[in-house]
Amino acid sequence: MAATKKTNSQLVLDGIFLENPIFRLALSMCPAVGLTTSIKNGLLLGTAVLFVQVFSSCTIAAIKNFIHPRIRIPTYTLTIATWVTVIDLVLAAYVPDAYKQVGLFVKLIVAFAIITMRLEMFACKNTVSASFWDGIGMGVGFMFGMVTIGFVRELLGSGMLLGYDVLGFKPLLFFVLPAAGFFCVGIMMAMFNYVEVVYNRRKESNS
Amino acid sequence: MNEFVKITFRLTLSCLMAALVMGTAFIFTDKAKKNNEHVNVHTTMLSLLGYSDLNPAPKELKLYSLYRYIIEEKGTTYLGYMVPVTESGKESYELLKLNLEGKLVQRLPMNISPEAAAEDVERATAMKEALKTEQGISYQDRTVIARLGGQRVAYLLPGKFGGFKTFINVILSLNPEFAIRGLEIMEHEEDPGLGAEISQNYFKNQFRNKSFERLKSLDVIKEPLPDEYRAYLNAPDKMDKDKADAIIKQYGEKDIYALTGSTISSRSVTDGVKNMVKRFAYRIQVLNDVIADQKIPALI
Repeated sequence: MAATKKTNSQLVLDGIFLENPIFRLALSMCPAVGLTTSIKNGLLLGTAVLFVQVFSSCTIAAIKNFIHPRIRIPTYTLTIATWVTVIDLVLAAYVPDAYKQVGLFVKLIVAFAIITMRLEMFACKNTVSASFWDGIGMGVGFMFGMVTIGFVRELLGSGMLLGYDVLGFKPLLFFVLPAAGFFCVGIMMAMFNYVEVVYNRRKESNS
Repeated sequence: MNEFVKITFRLTLSCLMAALVMGTAFIFTDKAKKNNEHVNVHTTMLSLLGYSDLNPAPKELKLYSLYRYIIEEKGTTYLGYMVPVTESGKESYELLKLNLEGKLVQRLPMNISPEAAAEDVERATAMKEALKTEQGISYQDRTVIARLGGQRVAYLLPGKFGGFKTFINVILSLNPEFAIRGLEIMEHEEDPGLGAEISQNYFKNQFRNKSFERLKSLDVIKEPLPDEYRAYLNAPDKMDKDKADAIIKQYGEKDIYALTGSTISSRSVTDGVKNMVKRFAYRIQVLNDVIADQKIPALI
């Protein structure tokens, strides 16, 4: 893949819709299934991933000529681990209450497929600024996915939104369980695909 | 061969750069993190004394810290107590050097404010200045003495003891007669779902109201926790007074009910608490005698 010709805004929008990490690329499914029982969890983890993605992408793009092709994966892992540690330290120091809830999962970001994949596919072939915008797009796309799934599961599972009781009863307890994560992801994926089909059909009929 | 060298060199350099970034982040966040811990310990102590945001501590409540050291000098071991004192209205510290029989050997004035004494580094420097040596000084523990209107109302003992895997950090609150007012588990690494239950109210609140005499023979029993006792332990302050009194009367003198599947953790906590209280009671009585004997203007 040669250097991208997309504009910055296109990069960001692609990350959110056309190449959404969860719904289109089907990467990083573990956090999408396991940690999305509430909007707050999704939002916190999404923010952490956004920062790690942007920082790692920029770092790799900046040092891409220095990385030896045979050890690029260890270097990516090292870069991601470094930024995850930094985010971990910052969260622990400045938002201790939120850190208590997501602290365990922040360390797991090192193993998220989406970040390594983005470094391999994009950052090591493009400029720093393009990688920055791609990182933003991917991070926001991931956050968008986490929050949407979190919204559905929190509302249906515990009848609450952002911790506030909005329904007053629990419609489907099943949605709190991890298995329901698969259902949510599956239905959202189907919706995304459907929108794409409709969009393409319209484009064809217009031309 | 050339390839090897290249790869090694680049990987080493990457690691060094990563270390640099992480080190910088650590330096910048360390202070805030320590501050958080201080605040956390302070709020826990206040909550053990029964104060919270809804029920703020009165202004007359003063918390004084007492630091204990072991001093090795020419083959002899001494105990060093950093005691908060007041001199013409100014609060500072005095170091009391006691021999192992509990007799006073030396009184050394220290020029350090209570705020500075709370910092490990500054306290170590002050100790070094007072003793004119840096050899053989080892910090042991800290005790917080809560006073309300000139009366001692509670002792707060931060401490740690061995658990199932590694140390369990706790803060223990005692009344002036050494009966337990409350226990808070600060940090532990017991197994989730098993030993980690020590931080649940229904376990740690069992220690509440145990008198010093009862504590000396306190044991762990492997019996199921009665439902009404569990309900009381989970929210001791929410239950109405008469009902709570009846439950305390019935179960207050009982041994500690072990956690299901975690007898070792339960026993470690029980023994740890027992030892902490017994040792502390002995030490503070020795120190009280010395302070009264020498008419030291101590604040504790």
